[in-house]
Amino acid sequence: MPATGVFWPVKVRKVLTSLTFRYIAKYLAVLTLSVFLLQGALYGYFSYNFFGSLSETIVEELDTLQLIYNGQSIAGVTTYIDDQKAIPAVNRFYYLVLDEHGGKVAGDLEASPNFKEFSDGWVGFDVALLRWGESVEIDFLARRTDLGHGFQVMVARDYAGALEQSSLVFSTLFRAMIATLILGLIGGFFSASSTLNRVESLNSELSRIIRGDPSERLQPVLEQGHVRELSIIMNSMLDKMESLMLGVRRVSDNIAHDLRTPLTRMHNQLSQLRAGLSQATPEDVDNIIHECDDLLASFNALLRISTLETGERSTAATDVDLAALLRDVVELYEPLASEKHIDLSLKATSQICRGEANLLFQMFANLLDNAVKYTPDHGCIEVLLETHREGEHCVWISDSGPGISAADRKSVFRRFYRIESSRSEQPGHGLGLSLVQAIARYHDGAVLLLPNNPGLRVRVILP
Amino acid sequence: MNVLLVEDDMGVGEFIAAELCAAGHDCVHKVDGEAALQEARSTRYDVLIIDRMLPRMDGLTLIKTLRNTGSNVPMLVLSALGEVDDRVKGLHSGADDYLVKPFSMEELLARLEVLHRRSNAPPSSSQTTLEVEDLRMDLLSQEVSRNNEILTLQPREYKLLEYLMRHAGQVVTRAMLLEHVWGYHFDPQTNVIDVHVSRLRQKIDKEFETPLLSTVRGAGYRLGSE
Repeated sequence: MPATGVFWPVKVRKVLTSLTFRYIAKYLAVLTLSVFLLQGALYGYFSYNFFGSLSETIVEELDTLQLIYNGQSIAGVTTYIDDQKAIPAVNRFYYLVLDEHGGKVAGDLEASPNFKEFSDGWVGFDVALLRWGESVEIDFLARRTDLGHGFQVMVARDYAGALEQSSLVFSTLFRAMIATLILGLIGGFFSASSTLNRVESLNSELSRIIRGDPSERLQPVLEQGHVRELSIIMNSMLDKMESLMLGVRRVSDNIAHDLRTPLTRMHNQLSQLRAGLSQATPEDVDNIIHECDDLLASFNALLRISTLETGERSTAATDVDLAALLRDVVELYEPLASEKHIDLSLKATSQICRGEANLLFQMFANLLDNAVKYTPDHGCIEVLLETHREGEHCVWISDSGPGISAADRKSVFRRFYRIESSRSEQPGHGLGLSLVQAIARYHDGAVLLLPNNPGLRVRVILP
Repeated sequence: MNVLLVEDDMGVGEFIAAELCAAGHDCVHKVDGEAALQEARSTRYDVLIIDRMLPRMDGLTLIKTLRNTGSNVPMLVLSALGEVDDRVKGLHSGADDYLVKPFSMEELLARLEVLHRRSNAPPSSSQTTLEVEDLRMDLLSQEVSRNNEILTLQPREYKLLEYLMRHAGQVVTRAMLLEHVWGYHFDPQTNVIDVHVSRLRQKIDKEFETPLLSTVRGAGYRLGSE
């Protein structure tokens, strides 16, 4: 997103307040501060060493002069100093030799030099070093000693050069740090603005998708990194959202369609009743009441399914003995089965499962109800409970009915779905298996439909 | 029966009140929790019907308040909230029964009757036999006989008959049988209860002149005469 002239100040403020930029700025500040501290420490350390070695050479030079004086008296010293003056060295010693009256005998320093004297010994230098501000105006470091017979010698060494060098190094480093800081901030600004641009383009794409067509997806980001991951996650979120939206639309279409039929029927019956009010029998009214009850039952079942599908886990879960529960269900349906001479058998050993007994009972009752309904006379239904691997419970309900074709097997779980052939033959509102699936999923389980050749095998898996 | 109905929906409330009057009961209808509390404290009622979601004071609070002040009048909760949790909460608050909307008037009447009779009947814990005309059940030996003729019943048939005998003369609905005989709250898709009842009827009525177990149209069953 290129920044236009009008939006530039807004854009700059946005970048400056962005998380990335603030992070980089903080990082730079800490980095600069720590580098400065390190430099200061190094500077102190090196200058201390420098003064240490400087003072050592001065002491050595004084010793040399003492030796010369001892051997060749003041004349030797004067010759030595004159010789030294002739050597064109950058870093050489400066001398001052005074007689007992304070008169200059030899050397290249003024008789009364205006440099500052420290307290005797080298301790004075340490103090000067620690308090740098006190000693900057001193260009020489010196020490004097008595040669004997009233002669005094002072050896000094100029350290302005070293001082200049070190301040040069220091100021170079300082400038380099300032440059680093500025370049870092500029770099930070641009990297923050590029991150911001990417996030903003994600934002604008997302809001466009939300406003418009939910089937659109974010452009794939080729560059590896967080933005790519984010866009992949957002795309999968959009997938989920779209499938939910489609699901809701499909369900409400179904509801509208399947509830319209009985409502229309009821409307017609009422119209007929209104037309022939004088000949109406209580049965006519009962029919309408019955129709109404059916509708209410459908609504209740729908409500239950959606409560189970969307509802959080309730606290009513207990330890349920699946075998005992299945015995109860089978016992409930046994008279219905024996009316049709169906052989209904149960094989189950005690198994504890965590769940809501009423819901589990409803689920198996619905399945067994279907099995009894669709199994022809003299058929057989088998209920089997077995432990699956890792404590999973598996219930098989197999019947010898007509079964469900492969094409219908997925659809039968949809609300109001009824197989064409059973629409007219069997009563029902087409919600029984939807409820079964909702209950199984509520318990983190699953329902599978398999062929039984002939018939249907229902497999319920519960954790 | 003297009934206090607390229901904030005027349409539903008036319908229930009218049906109760038609069935020969007296009914006072209140639309909010506080008014109902005042009324229940000032007048003696046989049974209370309480909606859960009420203005000013919700149904469960009303029940708790009444129970805390020592009232032992039977109370039935009427609610659109029908999950197991809601039912448990309702019964924990001190209600005697819980009926989920939408419900049939027959179901409500049958349940009210059971509640009313239960509160009036003398405590029957020491009772060892149940009798309805010439039908006799020995609760200790679990022996059932009619006209001194021993009848052989399956365990579930025995339980079914016991429940019917304990509520002899009253209408017992299919939902009540499921709750109390089978012990599950669920919604049977087919007439599975009817098949069990007709099996029981075969055993207790077939060989005898006067049938004891009758079907009440649109409601349920009744053992013995009204």
